[in-house]
Amino acid sequence: MKKSRPAVMKAAAVVGVAALGLGACGSSKSSNTGSSATTASGGGGSSTSAVKIGFFGALSGANAALGINILNGEKLAISQYMAGHPKVAVTVDSFDSQGDPSQANNGAQKLIGDKVVAVVGPAFSGESKAANPYFAQAGIPHITASATNVALAQSGDKFFYRGLADDSAQGPGDANYLVKTLGAKTIAVIDDKSSYGQGLADYVRSQIKTDGATDVVDDHVDPNGQDYSSTVNKIVAAKPAAVFYGGYYDAAGRLIKQLKDKGYTGAFMSGDGSEDPHFITDAGATAAEGAYLSCACEDTSAAPSAATFNTAYQAAYGTPPAIYSGEGYDVTNFLLAAIKAGNTTPSAINNYLKTNSWTGITKTLKFQSDGDLVGGTVYVYQVKNGKITQIGTTPS
Amino acid sequence: MHLHSFVTQFWPSTVDGVTLGSIYALFALGYTLVYGVLKLINFAHSEVFMVGTMSAMWIMHFLNISAIQSGFALVGALLLAALFSMGGSAATALALERVAYRPLRRRGASRLAALISAIGASFVLQQVFEVYYSNQYSNFPRLFKHSTLFNIGSAQITTDRVLIVVAAVVMMVALERTVALTKLGRGIRAVAQDPETATLMGVNIDRTIMYTFLLGGIMAGVAAVLWNVRFEQTRFDIGFLPGIKAFTAAVLGGIGNIRGALLGGLIIGLLELYGASVFGSQWRDTTVFVVLVLVLLFRPSGLLGESLARARA
Amino acid sequence: MLLEVDDVHVFYGAVEALKGISLQVAKGEIVALIGANGAGKTTTLKMISGVRPVKTGKVRFDGQDITHMPGHKRVDLGLCQAPEGRGIFPGMTVVENLEMGAFNRKGSLTEDFDRVYDLFPRLAERRKQVGGTMSGGEQQMLAIGRALMARPEVLLLDEPSMGLAPKLVSQIFSIIRQINAQGTTVLLVEQNAVQALTLAHRAYVLEIGKIVRSAPAADLLADDSVRAAYLGGDLGASA
Repeated sequence: MKKSRPAVMKAAAVVGVAALGLGACGSSKSSNTGSSATTASGGGGSSTSAVKIGFFGALSGANAALGINILNGEKLAISQYMAGHPKVAVTVDSFDSQGDPSQANNGAQKLIGDKVVAVVGPAFSGESKAANPYFAQAGIPHITASATNVALAQSGDKFFYRGLADDSAQGPGDANYLVKTLGAKTIAVIDDKSSYGQGLADYVRSQIKTDGATDVVDDHVDPNGQDYSSTVNKIVAAKPAAVFYGGYYDAAGRLIKQLKDKGYTGAFMSGDGSEDPHFITDAGATAAEGAYLSCACEDTSAAPSAATFNTAYQAAYGTPPAIYSGEGYDVTNFLLAAIKAGNTTPSAINNYLKTNSWTGITKTLKFQSDGDLVGGTVYVYQVKNGKITQIGTTPS
Repeated sequence: MHLHSFVTQFWPSTVDGVTLGSIYALFALGYTLVYGVLKLINFAHSEVFMVGTMSAMWIMHFLNISAIQSGFALVGALLLAALFSMGGSAATALALERVAYRPLRRRGASRLAALISAIGASFVLQQVFEVYYSNQYSNFPRLFKHSTLFNIGSAQITTDRVLIVVAAVVMMVALERTVALTKLGRGIRAVAQDPETATLMGVNIDRTIMYTFLLGGIMAGVAAVLWNVRFEQTRFDIGFLPGIKAFTAAVLGGIGNIRGALLGGLIIGLLELYGASVFGSQWRDTTVFVVLVLVLLFRPSGLLGESLARARA
Repeated sequence: MLLEVDDVHVFYGAVEALKGISLQVAKGEIVALIGANGAGKTTTLKMISGVRPVKTGKVRFDGQDITHMPGHKRVDLGLCQAPEGRGIFPGMTVVENLEMGAFNRKGSLTEDFDRVYDLFPRLAERRKQVGGTMSGGEQQMLAIGRALMARPEVLLLDEPSMGLAPKLVSQIFSIIRQINAQGTTVLLVEQNAVQALTLAHRAYVLEIGKIVRSAPAADLLADDSVRAAYLGGDLGASA
């Protein structure tokens, strides 16, 4: 679950506004055909019809980059699908949530009112908690490409799906990586007391014990504070082989920098909240070098299976795919596969998702009864020469 | 409770606490001076500090100074950063006085109105920097190696710590002497103690208030450049947390009291670090405020009690 | 006339505190302003010193219109006041308080310190004492001494006898006479009308913001109606 990526914020805001405009045009145009589609689908398969797939996520505001990445993946999948002149036309109906949970009600009502057959999103865990019940009540399947909070799958929502591993996979995966791959026997686990950061760190804490390592320092930092010397002093005194930090990139950057300043030489690892180039700028390139970061998201630029996607994405948007673009693309393709198979109502699509699987560019999507992924890979990244580079996956 | 870790980390905590505390102390002077003279909490003082950190960072970026310097280049870069920081902070403090306070004072508005005005000004400054500069952290370059000079216990005394503490103490002594010995200082103390009689003695109150903001701004500017040296990053909201701590330091020492600000700053810095090592870092702020409440229960006017009005500065 | 106040009105909010006051002080005089509590005596002095704004009317000093001149600038012209309640800076020493009197003056103050210590030997003994810890009488000496440090043409004194023991009152008044003899004009506000009228050359009687009598001090002292109203009917009442 990412918090903010505002380096691209200004650009993102511009793109977001443009996307909103497009989305609005698209929905108003297709609303007539949309209603005719519902009647047509009852009449038989031969006539051409149209359905809408919703998008729910931040397209403007400080956290917009993530939402835009997902929406771009979704749009690319749909435009590729439409290029094959299918029987059922599909359009995108997007809602800009600005990442704000208080917008969730509006967003859910809008998409439900627009009669979307499925939703890609919501993008963040917070807004998911607020919006998911509306989609569940309306019986509209919703697949998130990025929300990783564990509890989302535990609410009995029969229409919830998650296209990536959740925090309960990431935390233990990170612990396994530290203990089994890096061979760390003593680990300091620090977090920022946020529901994301502490949740992730708690999974790490319990898994490293299972793995036979010791949690030598347990401490919490204030993500808005600057002076982490008390935490740093504890770590330096305990001399652990590795430090894990659960939280976001700003605080992670400060922590690693102040650790290195006091002579800490062990390994440093953090979760997807820190997997952002700002982690490196905040820490300084020297301090950040060698740090490990994990994410349930795959860097598609390195994946052979994604070569075509990478090229198409670059051609469509003028930038290479970024975090969660591949996930957005994959979950949309799963929905399109359902539609292609003749499922044009929300309930038919929901049944299709429950009983089928889809092999995409990042992974094979197959869902458990609670909507969580079967399996689910956590990828490990490392800062190398000032760049966040995917280096492997976490051991089980 | 981790008494063991308190013992093992005593010296590093002390060194870090004194470093942080001496920055708080300089920062606190702005609150204390303005309160002493106007009986008003300048809540926008945290933004005076923020603009200082921004100005110092900006001139380094502007001149493309991003690496370790040595000799004259180092001294020059540090002085330049300090000058811009003090200039930025002082200009902000003066502007605040002129725009947010003086018009209200002229109209005889209540202190509450001035407080709201200060909070408003604080938001405006933050958002101007957020929107027109960046909502991300910007780095201040490391200008010299933070190498260890000597050890006290398990604590390494590094060059940056020495620079911060020495500069802070020198500035505090300079301010204290200014207020105690110069005509400007006598004017400030006179206005603090009895503004009407000060006028009867020929003191220009408006100008004295302006100088008070100026001095507080300069001190905040020094605090800001030292903060940059210590933490090497700044953002539009950087002033908020240290601002609260500095204000607390001023109250703890006795608001309006210059020596109180020094004492309060050091105590707060040390309490944060000691509290964190005993109870865990998530309790560092709680420790500070619990101690503040306890002190105020028994000494409502702070440790050194008197205000600038009473203190023989 | 050295100091002229011409039909001045002063308001506190909607309340009219001075309802058209006119008075003159000539060079070398001691002029007293007497009246009951709340008559506007202190307001008159503060208005002359520029710390109470004039709504209508004129104030002239040495022929110059100073009606709207800021208070701190009037000190440079030669108007200095020892205010009601003495206004000692409690955190400053005797020396620092005296220096405040000469705040805007340049050059050596040795002569002025000598003159003040000569008038008030008590202050010389207490140079390093903090103002807030001094007795009422000492504070009054300090307040007058401080005002003298400005080398005023007109010394404004607000209730110099307030709260002082009778012996000290007569001592203070004899020092005021001495200051006047050295060439300083004095405008004096007093509730202790007997002492004030004994000391002053001329006097004004204030009643609820207005001047109701103006006469040589000796005439007022001899006037039965004035005695009845302001002197408690009995010359020795305050003693």
